[in-house]
Amino acid sequence: MIKVVNVSKNYGEQRAVNNLSLGIEKGSIFGFLGPNGAGKTTTIKMLTGINSPDQGKVEIDGWSPELSSVREKIGFKPEEPHFYEYLTGLEFIKFAGNLFERSYQKKESDYLGVMESAGLYGVRDKIIKHYSKGMRQRLGFAQAIINDPEYIFLDEPLEGLDPIGRRELKNMIERLKSQNKTIFFNSHILSDIEILCDQIGIIHKWKLVYSGSVLDFCRGEDLEKRFIEEIEKIEGSHSVA
Amino acid sequence: MRRTIVIAKNTFKETIRDRIMYGILVFSFLFLFSITVIGSLSLGEDLFIIRSFGLAGIYLFGLIITIFLGASLIYKEVEFKTIYIILSKPVKDSEVILGKFFGLLASIIALIGSMGLIYLLVVWFNGGGFDYRAMLAMVLQVFEFSIIISVLILFSTFSTPIASTIYTIVVVYCGHLLSLMFNYVASAGDFQKYLLLGAYYLFPNLEKFNIRNLVVHGFGITQSEFLLTAGYATIYTSLVLCLAHLIFRKKEF
Repeated sequence: MIKVVNVSKNYGEQRAVNNLSLGIEKGSIFGFLGPNGAGKTTTIKMLTGINSPDQGKVEIDGWSPELSSVREKIGFKPEEPHFYEYLTGLEFIKFAGNLFERSYQKKESDYLGVMESAGLYGVRDKIIKHYSKGMRQRLGFAQAIINDPEYIFLDEPLEGLDPIGRRELKNMIERLKSQNKTIFFNSHILSDIEILCDQIGIIHKWKLVYSGSVLDFCRGEDLEKRFIEEIEKIEGSHSVA
Repeated sequence: MRRTIVIAKNTFKETIRDRIMYGILVFSFLFLFSITVIGSLSLGEDLFIIRSFGLAGIYLFGLIITIFLGASLIYKEVEFKTIYIILSKPVKDSEVILGKFFGLLASIIALIGSMGLIYLLVVWFNGGGFDYRAMLAMVLQVFEFSIIISVLILFSTFSTPIASTIYTIVVVYCGHLLSLMFNYVASAGDFQKYLLLGAYYLFPNLEKFNIRNLVVHGFGITQSEFLLTAGYATIYTSLVLCLAHLIFRKKEF
């Protein structure tokens, strides 16, 4: 289970997350929504142990993600992932795999399998510098699942993909869900969140404004409409105050 | 340790394939082949000139490549956000710093090795036989570059590549002038004296690694001198890497 308890984070004077609390059950797909600068990426960085909270605590299965043993079971795809440009896709995947205890003894065929499932088998020996944006997104996804993680964190995984690429990635997410993986992702593409997620969290101006099931939030309307309504309602109440 | 080796291997591959580095390397090869011509212009001092220019060329090109590759080593990871991919995996900050250090050092050893091979061939071709003392000069050069790489990594944790390059050039320049600085201390006033002494102990004494003049005149150094110099480089490099690690672990990404 992922547990976030009263977490706050500042970058110098700039507030990034304010008193955030969340609970995500194992095996669910959780969509984290919010306007730009709301604190989504900061939250994901704390959940993956890249940054520490200033206040509060983040736990995965009861332990801090800053522990190596916890990070062994985490996969993370950053937003617009950047890679080592002079490596080939396959070399990069092997590099990522070798950083884990649980995957460094993988065979060549295992790595090729991951490249194939990400749709990159044909370009595995091409240097990353020549990859398109869609290929980079898929490579980012492939390195996030190389250790067969229990918890997968995806920051804007569908951005920059064409409709076919998006469909393929959504299928991959569905497949991971069927394997009982817990998936946490940030996205601006609300129609995809509506289809994929069981639970959502909405963050606005560094504070959590909703956390619960998609159905309860939508109340028969589409997610995008409800999301805009909710944000405008909060903005309105702020301006009145 | 295993993860340090994985990061080092990756850094080695990444740096050794850098196209700009190839440009500098090709230029250095051309220079090393052309010193035969420079040598033939001298009056009976061909080998002396070939050895002087050859070893100086290996040092200078090695230094340019080291600074070029090292100045952005950590900065690029943070700026291009590849660090997110590494730090979200079970990797310690110290493994990142050490992996980067050993990866770049391995690249530099490979480059000095290839330039050294051409140098040895040129000397042999010009009747100088196997110049084994030059190999000792190159080994000491590797020790000097290990200090320079650690300094570059330190600067790279908190400044831009251009600033890191400038700071490192200052360190290299001062590091080669420390003996002069120390001689000046006796005649300096109180304030200047402490300032110079501070600089003397702070900067690495890079002249310790320069035995090129001895080598071209047919001399070498004793085993104990070699071990002391190697020990000095190891201690200085370790201290600078510890400092780089302290800064890196406090960094917010």
